[in-house]
Amino acid sequence: MILVAKLALGMASTIVLAGVYTFREGVIRVDVDEHREGGSHVHVWVPAAAVPMALHFVPKQNFQRLPKEANDCLPLLQIVTAELRKYPDTTFVDVEDGDEHVKVATVGGKIQIDVVSLEENVHVAVPLSTVNDVVHQLADNAPGI
Amino acid sequence: MQAPSFRFTGPALLSVTALLTSPAAIFAQAATPSTSSSSGSDRWLHVRVISTESKGETVRVNVPLELAEKVLPAINHDRLHNGKVKFNDSDMNGFDLKIILDALRSSKDGEFVTVQSTENDVRVAKQNGYMLVHVTEKHAPSSKDGKPVERNQVDVKVPMKVVDALFSAGKDELDITAALRALSAHGDTELVTVKSDDNTVRVWLDSKNISD
Repeated sequence: MILVAKLALGMASTIVLAGVYTFREGVIRVDVDEHREGGSHVHVWVPAAAVPMALHFVPKQNFQRLPKEANDCLPLLQIVTAELRKYPDTTFVDVEDGDEHVKVATVGGKIQIDVVSLEENVHVAVPLSTVNDVVHQLADNAPGI
Repeated sequence: MQAPSFRFTGPALLSVTALLTSPAAIFAQAATPSTSSSSGSDRWLHVRVISTESKGETVRVNVPLELAEKVLPAINHDRLHNGKVKFNDSDMNGFDLKIILDALRSSKDGEFVTVQSTENDVRVAKQNGYMLVHVTEKHAPSSKDGKPVERNQVDVKVPMKVVDALFSAGKDELDITAALRALSAHGDTELVTVKSDDNTVRVWLDSKNISD
């Protein structure tokens, strides 16, 4: 009986620790709500640490097919995501135009993009560290960067 | 019979700790403000555009100068390379900017250019280490006395050190990164103000990461 209890406790601890490890970088949140009839409603929450982890399993040749525009942007993204973490929470861009509102901000170590309009609401939040990790991996594996 | 309970204490404590800390780890980023701190010496460039048209568009941009300094050299597009913008003589319509700048730098404070016409008033001056440009655009007379009506006003106030840094690269280059560096060493400054019937534009520099 004690052995079963120990096994159960060990498994529970492992699951909890795995959960803590998986969610250590927070979550990537994507919410899309189209206001038209039959419009899409997409709500995705993905553990941020899972994305760079998953990239390790992508065959290397796929990275070499990155378009030139992406290659140009990667060094920029590396710098921006590394630097933005040094600053306090800030709204970098805020555009209001009648019923439309676009906001790009950093909130708690995440880059958050909010688009609110009559047609749709889009909210995207990605930890800066995750973007930085992904960009580093892409840059390391893509030729000519 | 104390041994079994002790054997449970370790894993149990570990589990409880993990359970208690897991929500904290998951939601830490959402609940707490950024752990990184911004030193008070950070300089922020703010741009604010307010349109008074029917929809009332408002644009607010806040950029840390240090970030711009680091990002600019990484952009290589068109005429912008390594934080410098190339221009050629044809862009300048025969004006030698270097000579004009040298003249401006070595001269005493005063008004250099004053143009008054029915369409525009332009004033370029140097005052207390700043280069000042003031442009007033006039529209066709609408008042009873027949005088042109002032419609758009543009005020530019740039520290001379920034102008020097801007032209420090070479004859046909503008060193934007050097200009930003010089700007970051400067105090709070109102750089550009545009007032027109439809829009108000303001570009300024301070140490706050929010616009007023």
